[in-house]
Amino acid sequence: MLSYIIRRLIIIIPMALLVVTVTWILIRMAPGSFYSSEKKLPPAVEANIKKKYGLDKPVLQQYGILMGNIIRGDFGDSLKYEGQSVNEIIRRHFPYSATIGILAYLLALAIGLTAGIVAALKQNSAFDYGSMSLAMLGLSVPNFVLGPILVLIFSLWLFWLPPARWGGASSLILPVITLAAIYAAYIARLTRAGMLEVMRSDYIRTARAKGLSEWKVLLKHAVRGGLIPVVSFTGPALAALLAGAVVVEKVFAIPGLGNIFIQSIFNRDEPLTLGIVAFLSILIMVFNLLVDVSYAFLDPRIRYE
Amino acid sequence: MARISLNQTFLGTMFVVVSLFLSGCTSSANNRYWGKTVAPTDNVLRYISGSEPESLDPAFGTGQPEARVYMALYEGLLEYHPKTMEPIPAIAERWELSPDGTEYIFHLRKNAKFSNGDPITAKDFVYTFRRALSPELASRNANLGYYIKYSEAYNSGNMFVKDGDGQFLLAKDFVKETEKKASDTPEAEPETKTESAAANFGAATEFQTFINAPERLVVKGSEKERAKQLEADPKLKAAVEGKELVPVTAENLGVEAVDDYTLRLKLYQPAPYFVQLIPHQLFRVVHQPSIERFGKDWQRVGNIVGSGAFMLSVHRPYDELVVVKNPNYWDAPNVRLDAIEFYPLEESTTMMNLYKGGSIDSVYNHIVPPAWLDEIRQYKSEYQDHPEVANEYYSLSVKKPPMDNLKVRQALSLAIDRYALAQFRKTPKPLSNFTPDGIFPKYDEARRKVFGERLKAENISVEEWSKQRLFDPEKARRLMTEAGYPVVKAGNGWICPTFPVDKVTLNYNTAESNKAVAEFNQAQWKQNLGITIPLKNMEWKTFLPFRSGVQYEGIARNAWVGDYMDPFTFLNLFYSPQNDGATGWHDPKYDALLDAANKELDEQKRLEMLATAEFQVLQEQLVIPLVTQATNWIKKPYVKGLYPNPGTLHAWKFVYLETDPNKWDTNADNLMKESDPQVDEQIRRVMATMQK
Repeated sequence: MLSYIIRRLIIIIPMALLVVTVTWILIRMAPGSFYSSEKKLPPAVEANIKKKYGLDKPVLQQYGILMGNIIRGDFGDSLKYEGQSVNEIIRRHFPYSATIGILAYLLALAIGLTAGIVAALKQNSAFDYGSMSLAMLGLSVPNFVLGPILVLIFSLWLFWLPPARWGGASSLILPVITLAAIYAAYIARLTRAGMLEVMRSDYIRTARAKGLSEWKVLLKHAVRGGLIPVVSFTGPALAALLAGAVVVEKVFAIPGLGNIFIQSIFNRDEPLTLGIVAFLSILIMVFNLLVDVSYAFLDPRIRYE
Repeated sequence: MARISLNQTFLGTMFVVVSLFLSGCTSSANNRYWGKTVAPTDNVLRYISGSEPESLDPAFGTGQPEARVYMALYEGLLEYHPKTMEPIPAIAERWELSPDGTEYIFHLRKNAKFSNGDPITAKDFVYTFRRALSPELASRNANLGYYIKYSEAYNSGNMFVKDGDGQFLLAKDFVKETEKKASDTPEAEPETKTESAAANFGAATEFQTFINAPERLVVKGSEKERAKQLEADPKLKAAVEGKELVPVTAENLGVEAVDDYTLRLKLYQPAPYFVQLIPHQLFRVVHQPSIERFGKDWQRVGNIVGSGAFMLSVHRPYDELVVVKNPNYWDAPNVRLDAIEFYPLEESTTMMNLYKGGSIDSVYNHIVPPAWLDEIRQYKSEYQDHPEVANEYYSLSVKKPPMDNLKVRQALSLAIDRYALAQFRKTPKPLSNFTPDGIFPKYDEARRKVFGERLKAENISVEEWSKQRLFDPEKARRLMTEAGYPVVKAGNGWICPTFPVDKVTLNYNTAESNKAVAEFNQAQWKQNLGITIPLKNMEWKTFLPFRSGVQYEGIARNAWVGDYMDPFTFLNLFYSPQNDGATGWHDPKYDALLDAANKELDEQKRLEMLATAEFQVLQEQLVIPLVTQATNWIKKPYVKGLYPNPGTLHAWKFVYLETDPNKWDTNADNLMKESDPQVDEQIRRVMATMQK
């Protein structure tokens, strides 16, 4: 088990560097530059900028310098936001995305698991149909629709909650609900399907035959197995949530990493894009590892050697 | 209790949800104000300034979102008038222009201080100008200062040439050659009057003797480029061979502190409009000791030292930037607000939500989404739509067929119904000229006169001519037919089977509004000429080189916001070979006319020369003008002293919040005409020093 984890951890670094390299090539292939704007720059001004940022050097040399710095953990300064380092920007904006993301996922888990388990236990009941229809609705309403509707009701008509911007717990409510809706729906459906499958399996029948109470069967045996699909979903979902939900950040004007990532691409802010790509790729690989490891605890049939 | 209130809450929610579906959007039409509007309790303006500022260094950031913040943090020699954006005194009490139009003297007030209490002197401005134009800073705005003598040479890292006896070679000896130099800048001007024999303007100094001496020759700084430059010019090569090359330094720049409170600028050539540029962010004064002490961290809260009416107190990027009143500001007693909270946002619906919810007091321009306009327009006390120093047009690839045919270009332009376009867009005004209408009143006058004279031969009045240029489908079809692409009647419409639609595309950068306009114009051409021109959209940064390199075929969407309050900021777009108009067109005669106009000291004559140049652009139909842009913005009725000026750039010290609802704005259309005794008095007081 331990050697498996170490092997997986070691491979993360070269994988991240590979991702960064591919991203760098893609950025360099895109037309336009960080300094291009409506007004064409005189050649002298353009030359000054290229010199200042080392863009006058041969491309391979630029790549060498870049990689050298990245290996030392230094992504350099943003090209768009003068004097701010990429590491600083990620450190500053990641917590916003992470807060919203974690809260949304917890909310989604609470709603989704409860609804899913209850629906599975009371299959074909009114609750089952009702909650699954709601889940279907949650899946089909995109958050750029749900967000504004919530704002309209709770901020502009009732004036209960702020319509946007970061500041205090009350400002978190709408974005967290908006973000959680789709995940709650997905988790509810996954849980229900997983639970239904598990409840019919032999080991549950064995557990019941042993004379265990229905609660014990449910909590000790069924939920563990029924949750495996939810756990596989959690890895990528949580990574995506932590990385920032672009739409929600835009609608609610939250200074999270997701929006900054997208903007950095539009701005051709190469160091910032590369820094965030590296950060996210590591994040995703770590979460996938965590998910794989947790299978072993949830399902006794899975063993890593 | 709790249960009851919960039930009430639930009922309330249900009621709202139901009414949402039943009643649609009739929410607040009978209210006097749009959304929550209560008298402000604190003296803090909450303003949305646009996207997150790239930098808090005024010499570095180029956009309007930055300019709005800089106007709070930094002050220059002059400031923008809150209504007209004409320059008014700021740190300089008054200024003088030399009789030959090449030297400016600014008299600084003696009580101006930085936010840390250090006095602001002419030396600080010398530092500010030299820094802004230094190649190391690499400011993208640097070329705005290129009229200052030797600034382009310094910014480009160029060299003077010194011969054996210590004399510098002079530019005038190489006039023919320098003319060939592919540059649009005043440096290439051969006839610059730099005779030092003329009477001294202001105190005579050693520096003045140097800067007024005949212009020195400069050659490229980088060896590779210099070799290329010399190769192209044998005479220059022979002259430079073996001579000593001396780099142009900051000290050579035509900026001089005559004494602590007198700043003198020397330009290459007379440029009467240059004073319009002085309030620009590039020239706002910065604090040398803190910049040198903190290096790249000088803009951080705690390190930053400003010069404006406000100083930085909080900066959370992408969230908020708070400035508070600067007690050391020279005019602090007349600064009305205690603080301004700038929120950097880009989503217009989010801004509108914040505004409606009462969380902000004002937004920047162009924010009200088209779908909301009909509702919001009714709120006369908040919504305003004034013309801006900005236009929208389509550039044409005039060197490629079929756009190389003047008649095709004219036909395409005349086939667009600009009245309908303006009505469709809801806020802008139809534009038949290139320079926006109604922004430069004196220029409008000159244009009427010049165009009138030119049109006499055609026996048509200017008004009639302008009107026809806004929409004339008959003439459009005639011209298209004459161009060799006959437009024929087919059923209720027209067809033009021979027009090469495969060679023409309407290109635009991806944006909902650009798409809507493109589709509108596509329909106009289809309806009036029977031509269906394909549309193509591109991401902004991809579009930029595609357009400016004239890689497009046919038509490319374009727009321009003036850098300063002079029509030259628009006409300059066709000044070759910079090719900012992105048409590929180039005419030395046009360039010469603009050069001559800028040297003209008589304002009226100068404007007439500019109008002549614009007439040429219009006659050659290099572009299809569409509209003069309009502000399209909202502010709460209690925000006073915030005017819809042509650039939506506000001198914050004139802004205040009115707590008495009886004095709130009732009709924003009259804002520019009505007098606000408080603001007017303040402006009058600031401008009084000009008369000294």
